[in-house]
Amino acid sequence: MAKKVLVVDDSKTALMMEREILQRHTTYQCVTASDGQEAVEKAKQERPDLILMDVVMPRMNGFEACKIMRQQQSTRETPIVLVTTRGEESYMEAGFQSGCNDYITKPVNGSELVALLQSYLGE
Amino acid sequence: MNSFRNNEPEAKRSSVDGMEDFRLGAARRRLAESTGQTDAIEALREIAGNFLGSEEIGLFEIDRKTGDIQLLWCFGIDPKQCHLLGALGDVGLQRMLVGKCHVAFVADDGAGSEPRTEAFVPIRLADHTVAILAILRLLPQKQGFDRQDMDLLALLSDEAGKALFGSTLNPVTNQPKART
Repeated sequence: MAKKVLVVDDSKTALMMEREILQRHTTYQCVTASDGQEAVEKAKQERPDLILMDVVMPRMNGFEACKIMRQQQSTRETPIVLVTTRGEESYMEAGFQSGCNDYITKPVNGSELVALLQSYLGE
Repeated sequence: MNSFRNNEPEAKRSSVDGMEDFRLGAARRRLAESTGQTDAIEALREIAGNFLGSEEIGLFEIDRKTGDIQLLWCFGIDPKQCHLLGALGDVGLQRMLVGKCHVAFVADDGAGSEPRTEAFVPIRLADHTVAILAILRLLPQKQGFDRQDMDLLALLSDEAGKALFGSTLNPVTNQPKART
């Protein structure tokens, strides 16, 4: 069965590109959400194998969503990769405290993204 | 004083060798699907932030009749600080009017600010420059523009005009004058 990735971003443009990369370069199934709150709900319903999530989003940001997911039984162990414009150590420390496993900085490089996802999910 | 090292970036090898540049397809589709000027501007913000690595951008509209250039919208910059000509210069502005992208490395502004890369993109419609997109600073992790970035800038030049102004402008008949 195909591994499932939940991609979360409020940017339609980023979602378009990330979905296209996953569809063309991996066998993963892709589901999407457009903010942290929707991501928390979708993660519960869809039980993804990995969550790729933007940080700055309306309604609920990536850090907050990450914290909630870590408190829920169904997503406690799900790898979460944050996508951020800020890669500074102090900023990402907050990301790791919220429970993320990894992060990738914008602009997202397609090859790096695929390699990172494969390191968690296999080919 | 600004020091412009060059107009064109060195075409560095992209780190996405071996993988098609999905940014182009996504950017083209996003612009084509935009539902009006506000949404097209949002598309430009998303493309700059997610694909080019900039959160300091400005969009200047060129008045077709007078040639005046006005700030239409900016993001990440105080509108009072968002000046086009000071950064672009007369030569750069002439390049805009004939439809050439202009990329510059600003080594020093004399006020102690960090060096930065700037890019100016002529937004074309019906073979005329109707606006200028200014990308005024890149994110710290983004080291200049590579060849694929330049392809993306060219795509914005060719296709953003229709998304931004296609429904509001009549066919352009006169090339605007280079004024601010």
